[in-house]
Amino acid sequence: MTAIDVGDGEDARDGLMTLVIAVVEILIDALEREAVRRMESGNLTDEEIERLGGQLARIETEIERLKADEGIEDGVNDLRSDLDGLVNDAIEQLHGEPTATTQPGHSVFGGESE
Amino acid sequence: MSDHDLEDHADRLETIEGAGTAEPADAPSIDEGRYLYCLVRADGDAALETTGVDGEPVSIVVADGIGAVVHACDGIYDSGDLAQIRRWLVRHQTVVDEAGQAFGTPIPFQFDTILRGDDDGLREWLREERSILEQALEGLAGHWEYRVEVVEIDPIDDAALIERDDRLRDLDERIADAEEGTAFLLEKQFDQRLTELRAARRESVTADLQERLAAEAREVHALERSPSAGLSDDVAGGGSDSNASAGRDADDGETLARLTLLAHEDDEGAIGSILDDVAATDGLEVRFTGPWPPYTFAPELGGNGDGTDGEHTNPNL
Repeated sequence: MTAIDVGDGEDARDGLMTLVIAVVEILIDALEREAVRRMESGNLTDEEIERLGGQLARIETEIERLKADEGIEDGVNDLRSDLDGLVNDAIEQLHGEPTATTQPGHSVFGGESE
Repeated sequence: MSDHDLEDHADRLETIEGAGTAEPADAPSIDEGRYLYCLVRADGDAALETTGVDGEPVSIVVADGIGAVVHACDGIYDSGDLAQIRRWLVRHQTVVDEAGQAFGTPIPFQFDTILRGDDDGLREWLREERSILEQALEGLAGHWEYRVEVVEIDPIDDAALIERDDRLRDLDERIADAEEGTAFLLEKQFDQRLTELRAARRESVTADLQERLAAEAREVHALERSPSAGLSDDVAGGGSDSNASAGRDADDGETLARLTLLAHEDDEGAIGSILDDVAATDGLEVRFTGPWPPYTFAPELGGNGDGTDGEHTNPNL
């Protein structure tokens, strides 16, 4: 399990900011995927697409500027890739990918029943 | 028969062994047991002299042409010390390797597999299970396990993908003509498509390789893409197999596939040339190890409901 360490004192603000931005970015990614899906579905007018895209583009620019101002670009990237790893692990476990490895442990045969 | 001598010294061995390992509270009690490394085909006068797990002297106990490579023990091997466990595992594997070199393809046992009883009990077990063991040895004769890992060192570049994909080209053109906001969304869509194509390419590399290998090997299994535990990562100073840790790291490339296969030693060349083909693909690297004893492909002895339940019967110690 990845521990999210926001640090203390002066560091705590940066740590918390990093966490908040990472979460906001994940949200924005989801919004963007949804926007693309709606654009593809053909239910949006050209004008609506332009407006939606424009808003998302502005949000992304704002976030990038914020990260640069705070000097937390690397921190956010690291945190997000940690989270990705965590999610990937969870998914792989869910899928139960074929594995030929056996469980660790000992085997004792014969003698008293176990 | 040299293996008989060991029996006489059983008392002495137990004292040495008992001093070695601290046992957890829930460990099964074993007054006298035989730690099993592997089974091989062997004559009555076969001998194998080597040092086993925890420095124990290894011997081979033979009954009716089947030999069990063992050492005498009085407890399971368990430790909280990773370095210790690693040393034990390496010894276990070394003994199995040596037995394989001396007697041909072994049926390896998992680390820490112990049969209660003495050499006579073990012989009796070998005789009781003879038909199953004989069948397993016969089936695996001349076959070895090989492990293959395909790693993408350099991801394929965007230009090559755009060239091959109509949809990407179409998006590219629309982006050029679109207003700012629309272009932003189209670019997102373009990126998604790139990601999809990359994933599809990886899957097809893996599926294709698996299919081609299946034609030459007797069995091919996919393993988890990243090993769940890397002993070499945790324990300093172990350097035998640097490929053991999978690449989630950017500089190491991404592991596309980990396969293990069982193949006859005569087919090693054919398998090698299939792997050479894949390795020739831009950006891909193939890591190949073997021949190993058929760890993954050995029959499950002592499992329930697979017709080999006989192992649970009391070897009458």
